Amino acid sequence: MRKSLPLLLLFAVGCSSSGADADLQYIKQARSLGAEWALVNEHSNRGHVPRIYVHSMHRWLRQNLQTAAKSLTRPDSRYGEEIRALLAQPDDAAPNELRAHVAMLKQIEDSLESA
Amino acid sequence: MNPLELTLGIMTAVGGFVDISELVFAAKAGSTFGYALIWVFAVGTIGIVVFSEMSGRVAIAAKQPVFNLMRHRLGIKLGLLTLVASVISNLITCAAEVGGVALILNYLTGAPYLPMAAAMTVVMIVSIWVLPFEWIERVYGLLGLVMLVFAAALVAIHPPWDKIAGGFVPHIPAGLSTKELLTFAYFSVAILSAVMFPYEVYFYSSGGIEEGWAPKDMLKNRITSIVGMGLGSLLAIAILANSAQLFGPVNVDPEIPGTAAMQAAIPFGKWGLILALLGMFFAVSGAAVETCMANAYSIAQFFGWMWGRHKKPWEAPRFTLTWIVLFALALLIVLSGVDVMTLVEFAILFSILVLPLTYLPLLLLAGDKKYMREHVNGPLAKALGWLYFAIITAAALAALPLYFLTSGGNG
Repeated sequence: MRKSLPLLLLFAVGCSSSGADADLQYIKQARSLGAEWALVNEHSNRGHVPRIYVHSMHRWLRQNLQTAAKSLTRPDSRYGEEIRALLAQPDDAAPNELRAHVAMLKQIEDSLESA
Repeated sequence: MNPLELTLGIMTAVGGFVDISELVFAAKAGSTFGYALIWVFAVGTIGIVVFSEMSGRVAIAAKQPVFNLMRHRLGIKLGLLTLVASVISNLITCAAEVGGVALILNYLTGAPYLPMAAAMTVVMIVSIWVLPFEWIERVYGLLGLVMLVFAAALVAIHPPWDKIAGGFVPHIPAGLSTKELLTFAYFSVAILSAVMFPYEVYFYSSGGIEEGWAPKDMLKNRITSIVGMGLGSLLAIAILANSAQLFGPVNVDPEIPGTAAMQAAIPFGKWGLILALLGMFFAVSGAAVETCMANAYSIAQFFGWMWGRHKKPWEAPRFTLTWIVLFALALLIVLSGVDVMTLVEFAILFSILVLPLTYLPLLLLAGDKKYMREHVNGPLAKALGWLYFAIITAAALAALPLYFLTSGGNG
């Protein structure tokens, strides 16, 4: 038991986080999903990717964003609002518009990580 | 030596290195830590070359596949524990690959995900039933080479080659916070696990027996394992480096496998993307077949059943039934609605826990003169084998704490 105590403590630290700290992983996911969305739209606008792929990516990206939004322990936080704002964008949103939300999420992510 | 004879190594490696988990992990590793994790791929590649060559040599010299010898060496209880852990790990991995194939088809054709998973499972079952073993290797191994488009994309985007070369030198990037250091450690462990997936060794050694390797094939075994694994590693490193160059600067840490294909679309446009998706489709299909067959080989060899695709399916009925049932179980997991990426995480985590149990008996057997005679491990194989055993044991001990502390590498 004594030998496994450090391991149990590590688990406890890992599992007990809540609030913004626990939400960090979903903020990161949402930030990346938004950036992936912008990248797809940017190359779609240039005609570099087939339409079927673009439709399919939009569906999966949106679905994953919704999952990240639902997983937040503080949905009414600033980052929660930002993720909802991303979700409110149309599929063919302008890459710059999407990247503005991504930049905001990245800022929140960085401030939480350095806290 | 006929280059087509290398297909066992190529299929093993393409299915092992650029399967659905590696597509995601290599891309995430590149976007998160730049080129700093390349050396972990290099270290893992040497490890899998050492152990696959060893397993091929054991198969040739002792005329026995790994799992059969494992039962004799470890005894029934520990052997059974290894079998159960391997079967669970391989089954989750196989389910992740089946889900991955369906996802890629969805990107390519727009066809619905779950029906595609069911249809592709049937196609893969039929392909194993109909094709002789050599053709299974050739179809999945050679078509998986379309993945070379990722290496071509890397050349086309003119990356900083000096930084890529620097990535091969083992180091930890300076200035990382404690959290980032833990994430770096988790990625290292996960990459090592994904590169050294146990199913690669089960499949490779059983494949050698399927092909009827004899002592004259020792050199072929060595070349096949080095070329095959080297090629797989090259592809994985290309994906990582593309990601460092193209994704990191725009805040993309690929969350869905389809994003990885953009690496070829950026330099080559529409056809680059289509080739990337086709390469991913064949590589991941190959990985699904490989994991399913590795599982069936393990079970049949452990219980001493007749096994092998060099026999007609009805000549090894329990083996045949096993791989069909395993494919059906993998499909059921996918149909239950579990996210592919969740499956990938669990597959990697389970696999690293199984690694020491898989490689210890192999190491003991390959060093046993009674079994191996003149083909026993030499000083280099022995030293490397034990060094890697120490590395994977340390990685296995660190895997679970790191997983929980970093939320599966997500922060």
